Amino acid sequence: MIERLGWAGLAVAAAAIPLLTSNTYYLYVAISAGLLTIVTAGLNVLVGFTGQTSLGHAGLYAFGAYTAALCATRAGMGEWMAIGAAIIVTSIVGAAVAAAALRVSGPYLAMVTIAFGLIVESVLIEWGSVTGGPGGIFNIPKPVLRTHYWTVMLAAALALWLTANLRRSAWGRACLAVKSSEVAAESLGLSAYYVRIAAFTVSAAFAGAAGALFTFLNGYISPDSFTLQTSILFLLALLFGGLGRIAGPVAGSVALTMLPELLTKLLDYRLILYGSLLLLSIYWLPEGVVGAVSRGRRVRTPPHPHAPHPHAPHPHAPHPTLSPEGRGRSESRSPVTQGDGVLLIASGVSLAFGGITALNDIDLTVNRGCIHAIIGPNGAGKTSLLNVLSGFYAADAGAMTLDGRSIGGLPPYAVARHGIARTFQTAQVFGGLSVRDNVAVGVAGPRLGTAWAALAGTPGCRARETAIRSRAQALLDTLGLGDVGDEPAEALPAGLRRKLELARALATGPLLLMLDEPAAGLSPAEITALDLQLTALREHGGPAVILVEHHMDLVMAVSDRITVLDYGRTIADGAPEDVRSDPAVIEAYLGVPT
Amino acid sequence: MYGLVALGYHITWATSRTMNFSQGHAVMVGAVVAYAIFVALGWPFPLALLVTLVALACFGALVERVAVRPFFLRASPAWLLATIAVGIIVENVAQLTFGKDARAFPSPLMRKPIMVGSAGFYPQELLVPVVGLCLMGLVQLFYHRTSYGKQLKAVAWNPEAAGLMGINIPRAVMASYALSALLAGVAGVLLAPLLNVAPQMGTIIGLKAFAVAIIGGLTSAPGIILAGLGYGLVESFTAGYVSTRAREIVGFGLVILVLIVRPWGLLGEKPSRRV
Repeated sequence: MIERLGWAGLAVAAAAIPLLTSNTYYLYVAISAGLLTIVTAGLNVLVGFTGQTSLGHAGLYAFGAYTAALCATRAGMGEWMAIGAAIIVTSIVGAAVAAAALRVSGPYLAMVTIAFGLIVESVLIEWGSVTGGPGGIFNIPKPVLRTHYWTVMLAAALALWLTANLRRSAWGRACLAVKSSEVAAESLGLSAYYVRIAAFTVSAAFAGAAGALFTFLNGYISPDSFTLQTSILFLLALLFGGLGRIAGPVAGSVALTMLPELLTKLLDYRLILYGSLLLLSIYWLPEGVVGAVSRGRRVRTPPHPHAPHPHAPHPHAPHPTLSPEGRGRSESRSPVTQGDGVLLIASGVSLAFGGITALNDIDLTVNRGCIHAIIGPNGAGKTSLLNVLSGFYAADAGAMTLDGRSIGGLPPYAVARHGIARTFQTAQVFGGLSVRDNVAVGVAGPRLGTAWAALAGTPGCRARETAIRSRAQALLDTLGLGDVGDEPAEALPAGLRRKLELARALATGPLLLMLDEPAAGLSPAEITALDLQLTALREHGGPAVILVEHHMDLVMAVSDRITVLDYGRTIADGAPEDVRSDPAVIEAYLGVPT
Repeated sequence: MYGLVALGYHITWATSRTMNFSQGHAVMVGAVVAYAIFVALGWPFPLALLVTLVALACFGALVERVAVRPFFLRASPAWLLATIAVGIIVENVAQLTFGKDARAFPSPLMRKPIMVGSAGFYPQELLVPVVGLCLMGLVQLFYHRTSYGKQLKAVAWNPEAAGLMGINIPRAVMASYALSALLAGVAGVLLAPLLNVAPQMGTIIGLKAFAVAIIGGLTSAPGIILAGLGYGLVESFTAGYVSTRAREIVGFGLVILVLIVRPWGLLGEKPSRRV
């Protein structure tokens, strides 16, 4: 409610400026703030949502500005046509840059984007016949300042609205998931690379639009406006305002546009001030001004110290949500055929790290509807095997098929799309997303819809959202997490994190679920609950399960079949009773029963 | 000699997986401080050099303390932006105290060029790569032969285990920043007579050195040295045959190309994915 009032107040203030003053200077400053808002709103999608830093957005801004200027002066296009052309060109350039640059991340990405910005700047100066060289382009027909004010303000409002829509959609969740844990996101079928390219392209389109509007503000443009400093200013405005917050770009842009105007006397100190501000906001305002304000206002709810129903996994409740579905291939997997037939075949799988053999010619067959445990001493290669099966490690040799389809050599997200879901030894929940949204990432999987629909918040997109959320909630209810759906996932205690990870993996509707030490760190009561859940999963026609676990009571209680690994080799494979009495297994792992 | 500056990126990256993005500004600070002491105050050169190097080591340590340590353990790019912020501040403070104009830095090695055929070069230009290579050799010796160097390598390999072995990690990281700034300072003093001293000189040197570090491979000192030489050659060829501006286009285009083909650099280690 307060948020809505804030937005309304902002809109009134923006509308009031041209009515209250006829001073073109104020309008000019306000337009500058609006342009900065548009760029930073786009940058927010990339940096705030997706976690990738770009120091080259001035280059994209320049593409927008020069495209618009050339369209207006050489091709004689009208303002709107030129802006449209600028957005299209900048998006294409952005997608191309992203496809190349996003193969790397972190400081490498910063370098690529810096390099891109510098190359654009140099080309603008060098290629005089088109860009006008250092002098730039003049005589661009420009609209009346007051009209332009309205155009820019509406565009800024539109930009914020679009990013707010995106944030609420499957795309927004995918971005945050990729930011928080790339590995977990890929295990749910999301290609981190693809999501990042989309985010970069969206941010490029915003920068292009702002650049075009900038062209029509001044009537002339020159390379001076598109330097590395400009890129840093964009980033600073976003950080200062609030990374990842919808209102962050507004706050940061207004502050950073006003500040130098207020301090014109201290012109020499301006950049020092910028630098200090950047440093201070990184120190004390990690969530920016907006984050700090909303944090001060929010009444802190005490975090749940325990699971609301740690002993209530509802083992006998119907499991409407657990059976594999929604992949469009359900015809081959009717519940009747489940429980028999081979699902996964891995043969001759080998993997070495340097000279150390982690997996040596492993054969593994998992039947439908079975719980198949993999046990063995530490370092036996259990987790390595899971990582090979789920595509995180490329096997040196061997073949793997799931449901008759080869999954050997596929990247993790492609393996996930074939129907393998997994959890991790250290639970990887998506920070920055609520518990329900974590599961929603799994429900949506790679089916994100088009980015356009997500930006515009189309009715179709909203209907899908409702469906995704209700399915996510149903899964949470089944696993006894229903009451904590709105909690931030990172606030959950360890036991519930594991449960959440399980819910999220099940949400993808997998054929095969791989659990990597799901009982590690759980209390005895929680282990009992896990036991019941796994059994219930099997009874209700859930996916086959590969269970890597050290907790032998659990393994013996739930498993249909056990494979024992030692030093990267299979030393036993069979029914629990046989494996338990196998002398090789007792020697290597179980020890002599006392 | 970008290799020398780029080596600074390698040193801090190797110990802490962070980098000083104001490395170029450290070069500038080196040149400015040396100018102030040697030219303005008229101290003898060896003393001026010593003071400059001490000042630079302090600068590096300060950058680490202010802009890196608070974020070292947080897996966030905050250190990247924080070091950029420090760079902006330093550049503008230098502008206020030193002035915007470039000043010539006198050197006895710049007086008369040595003529080889029709092309001439100054002894100073020869001095830069010679000193650079010597320093790189020293750094390598330090890492491989001394126990403190080995400690730094241990930190790079596994901070947690190194910490358990009793290595003071914050101090190790700080030392690596001081060392890296020191190298930048040497580069600053060496380059001052060639480029003239100006507060704005830092940004572009820092960027090019970073480009060199990326091309060579952040994890590989020899790779960086080779890339430094190669980059210098490519630059002077493009500047000679095309134009000075094209120099930057080609240079940074090269970086992007390397990152696409071999993201870990020419001689760098291919990072393995950890799950």
